[in-house]
Amino acid sequence: MMKPWTRVLVWLCLAGVLLFLYAPLFPPLLLAIQDPATGQLTLQNFGTIHSDPTLVGALMNSIILAAIVGIAAPLLALAAAQAVRSFGIPRLIIAVILLPLFIPGVSMGVSTSLFFNLTGIDPSLLTMAVVQTLWALPFAFLIILTVMSGFDTLYLEAAYTCGANRAQAFREIELPQIAPGISGAATFSVILSFNETIRTAVVQGGNNTIQTFIWSRYQQVGLTPNMYALMSLIIAVTLLLILVLVALGRKRQPAT
Amino acid sequence: MSASVKRRDLRAAVLLGVPVLLCALAIVVPLVLTLIISFWERQMIGMRPGFSMASYALFFEGARFSVLQRSFWVAISSTLLMLVCAYLVAYLITFRLPPSRTRIFLFLLSVPFLVNYVIRTFSWAYLLGRTGPVNQFLQRTGLTSQPIDWLLFSDFAVYLGLVAAYMPFMVYPIWLSLSAIDRRLIEASWMLGQPPLGTFLRVVLPLSLPGVFAAAIFGFVGAFGEVAVSQILGGVGYQLMGNAITSSLDVLNYPMAAAMSTVVVGCMLLLLLLWLRFFDLRLFLGKMLGR
Repeated sequence: MMKPWTRVLVWLCLAGVLLFLYAPLFPPLLLAIQDPATGQLTLQNFGTIHSDPTLVGALMNSIILAAIVGIAAPLLALAAAQAVRSFGIPRLIIAVILLPLFIPGVSMGVSTSLFFNLTGIDPSLLTMAVVQTLWALPFAFLIILTVMSGFDTLYLEAAYTCGANRAQAFREIELPQIAPGISGAATFSVILSFNETIRTAVVQGGNNTIQTFIWSRYQQVGLTPNMYALMSLIIAVTLLLILVLVALGRKRQPAT
Repeated sequence: MSASVKRRDLRAAVLLGVPVLLCALAIVVPLVLTLIISFWERQMIGMRPGFSMASYALFFEGARFSVLQRSFWVAISSTLLMLVCAYLVAYLITFRLPPSRTRIFLFLLSVPFLVNYVIRTFSWAYLLGRTGPVNQFLQRTGLTSQPIDWLLFSDFAVYLGLVAAYMPFMVYPIWLSLSAIDRRLIEASWMLGQPPLGTFLRVVLPLSLPGVFAAAIFGFVGAFGEVAVSQILGGVGYQLMGNAITSSLDVLNYPMAAAMSTVVVGCMLLLLLLWLRFFDLRLFLGKMLGR
């Protein structure tokens, strides 16, 4: 069907794109395991990470935030996706929930920080969690919406006919079907929270996540090998989380 | 019986309605508030309610206006560049790969996107540096004798960083609308004697415009409000709107930050309204909504 040389050209083109996108994933590791003075391989830079108390605090904050966002975003997204189906205003709900996708990160951060400023809410983990949840929400929403579109609402009708109420029908019929989508949305939200800098940096106040910690270190003193060590750990954790996402997707496939 | 069903439905409506309303308020109220604050007056510390155009006047007169102009230019030109790349990728994976491979490629595309783009941009700064791998490679292969300086801290580096940060995400909407095209239309065009280019220009491209426009908005949003790429790869003094906004925040000039942010968000909403005016959301999200 396709001429052999066009096929080769297509593959070369796509491979080039992948090379371009994956190339930036490796330099942090290279820079972390190299001693800047001697050029020898060393793991020392990883060892010094845990001796910095600010950094350990930032790491704790990142983990707490990821947990909050990983729970809040998929639940809110589930409510919104259910509302799209049962309220008579699907377009309005979709437009509003997807809005953060279309607002630059800085603007979203500035707006929420002004809001917190006027309402007298001091920057805290809570403000950071709100900003990150709003950022993860559209993605979680789209994932759950996609899974729900594969669920036939006729099953719900059948459940109602058998005497189930709305909550029962949802819990016992729909939820098992769409559960992999919800856990997928949760994993996705955790990844997004864990990798967010700019929005969080605007509302961080005195708190840090590992991402804002790297960002402020860069702005104040520049990057050091142990910052690169931290970055390569972040990349490794993110890739690991993506593996979880893939495993969840695998589980979903035989069901549908 | 019917009364009890009604009551249960009301409970469900509250259970769904409250969180959705909260989300909507959390998204919309701060944006409206920013618009209002942009008209407030600046004080030594903080701000005072009022109606003044001072922030806008200062914005459109001073050096910040050149930042706006540059941001506009960079955003538009980089969006065009990203559209060409993203369209090529989306076209190839839709029409030139078997469907199973398409899914794998889309997955591979999203993996680097999930890694913080600030970290990826730091990596680019290393890769493009004077002693970085790219320059070493060019010198070793004899393409240049001296390290190339314009690879880093230049327009080139900023455009490259923007493409790396936002292009992968733009492939999805274009792929969505390309894969929704009825293949029979393409065959019909072929049977009626159109050459491949004619079929592309008169059938495929027009039908994929909703996705292209959505992708363009994503690219433009990213590039217009950019903070990290311009600061890391643009070098000292290279400012885009995002940098201007954060530096206003740093000196606690909230009305100014609000005014600039409002201009940026206003541009976005205008584009979004145009998109909704010309293309049906349901046509585009139809696959996801399953209707």
